[in-house]
Amino acid sequence: MSTAPPELTLDEVRDRIRVAGLPIPEERLALIHSLLRDALRPIRALDTRDAQTLEPAPTFDAAATINRHGHR
Amino acid sequence: MATAELCDLGIGELGRRYRARGLSPVDVAAAHLARIEQVDKTLSSFLTVTPDRALADARAAEVAIRRGDAGPLAGVPVAYKDLYATRGVRTTAGSALLADWVPDHDAACVSRLQQAGMVMLGKLTTHEFAFGIQFPGHRFLPARNPWDLDHIPGGSSSGSGAALAAGLTVGALGSDTGGSIRGPAAFCGIVGLKPTSGRVSRAGVVTLSWTLDHTGPMARTVEDCALMLQALAGHDPADPASSREQPVPDYAAGLGSGVRGLRVGVPREYFFHDVKPEVADAFESAMGTLRRLGAEVRDVRIPSIWAAPAFMVIMLTEAFAYHARDLRERPELYGEVVREKLMAGALFTGDEYVQAQRLRARLREDMHRVLGDVDVLATPTTPGTAPAFSAVLDPNFPFARSNMAPFNMAGLPALALPCGFAPSGLPISLQLAGRPFDEATVLRAGHAYEQATEWHRRRPPI
Repeated sequence: MSTAPPELTLDEVRDRIRVAGLPIPEERLALIHSLLRDALRPIRALDTRDAQTLEPAPTFDAAATINRHGHR
Repeated sequence: MATAELCDLGIGELGRRYRARGLSPVDVAAAHLARIEQVDKTLSSFLTVTPDRALADARAAEVAIRRGDAGPLAGVPVAYKDLYATRGVRTTAGSALLADWVPDHDAACVSRLQQAGMVMLGKLTTHEFAFGIQFPGHRFLPARNPWDLDHIPGGSSSGSGAALAAGLTVGALGSDTGGSIRGPAAFCGIVGLKPTSGRVSRAGVVTLSWTLDHTGPMARTVEDCALMLQALAGHDPADPASSREQPVPDYAAGLGSGVRGLRVGVPREYFFHDVKPEVADAFESAMGTLRRLGAEVRDVRIPSIWAAPAFMVIMLTEAFAYHARDLRERPELYGEVVREKLMAGALFTGDEYVQAQRLRARLREDMHRVLGDVDVLATPTTPGTAPAFSAVLDPNFPFARSNMAPFNMAGLPALALPCGFAPSGLPISLQLAGRPFDEATVLRAGHAYEQATEWHRRRPPI
């Protein structure tokens, strides 16, 4: 993470709640904002071109000597 | 023998006394039922007690033991987090939505422990749909921490932790999506194991987050967890993520082999953020103990550990996917705060979920690489001791950074065990994690530490 990525703002959270059509009360916005902001911080810092692997869940293969990402 | 003493015996000791005919599983079941009756009015660790079932199971176990064909778990009391389906016994998942659900099947883990001869005492309190800590608005009584009733026992396997610490059961099952086995183990001063992803079946357990959920044993000692894991582990075609290929080793056989030459890695980055001084002191003391036992302890670095908070994107998105319809059609049946937090899962975008899974893959690979250089990783299980109800029942109480969730992301086995007590009298816990399907090494390290210390022998004042 060489440069600080833009963080999710409170207004973005308001927009997302409006688009989703969900009844999240205003007094809980700060909490939801901090929850989303912290969760998204590593994703906003990610250069997506560097991440080549995608697995839906951990899977392990006892028989394999080379894993699916080419590592021995 | 007094009820409290009977209820303090572990699996190994119970088995020895059963085989020597010095103790009957029926008497042990009756003692536990009596202790639940006496103590659980205060603790609320059980949602449902099944005395008739317990005594029937105990009588069957007694017959098997007399026949001489019983395994080590025969006649041992157990209770299940109320997230595990139990045939003919109400299973609520801690939710008003399932308040009257009586399954017509057992969860795979319940079947396996039943086949092993364990004695079912009942169903244990859980947080609503296994989500979170203790949120305001939950319709069920919260389980309380036997070490201090004003403090939470952790969650979401709250009843499992509380019941074990109070001597109301010998074994319990929990589930762990981001620490729900290890957190209650840490806060209640007991032992909890989150096995490798795919090691223990999740079939018949209400999901929170499909790709992060794990099932596993909780007990008062590492040995007892190992004995329960033996019965639980193995392929189950009913769980699509269940491993087909990995053989199940004898977990108890190597427990006593010690840690001489074992390489223990301490990842300082991330895992020591906001750790309370008493926890840091207990952790360093535990590392000193492992060194004295012959382990080689050194710092290691997991390069992508900064990605760990992306856990929440995966967990909340998958939880919302499961609950979306009920949240829209029957929102009043959810506790108000859990409802809002589940709804937060709808606020992530598709690409954010995919990127979170990509980061997870990177984190998993980095952890594998580090575990090529060391045999286990050691961290504090939680940065502090159990918080008070008065703190967590504030609707704006935040989710803390988790030392446990990275091992759900990576699918690695992770064990929580007691390593001290704070000046407040609340327990402190050590987390040991290992390579995929290498629960045996994690358990061996935990057992060696446990045998060199006395923390696991302390009992709460209840």
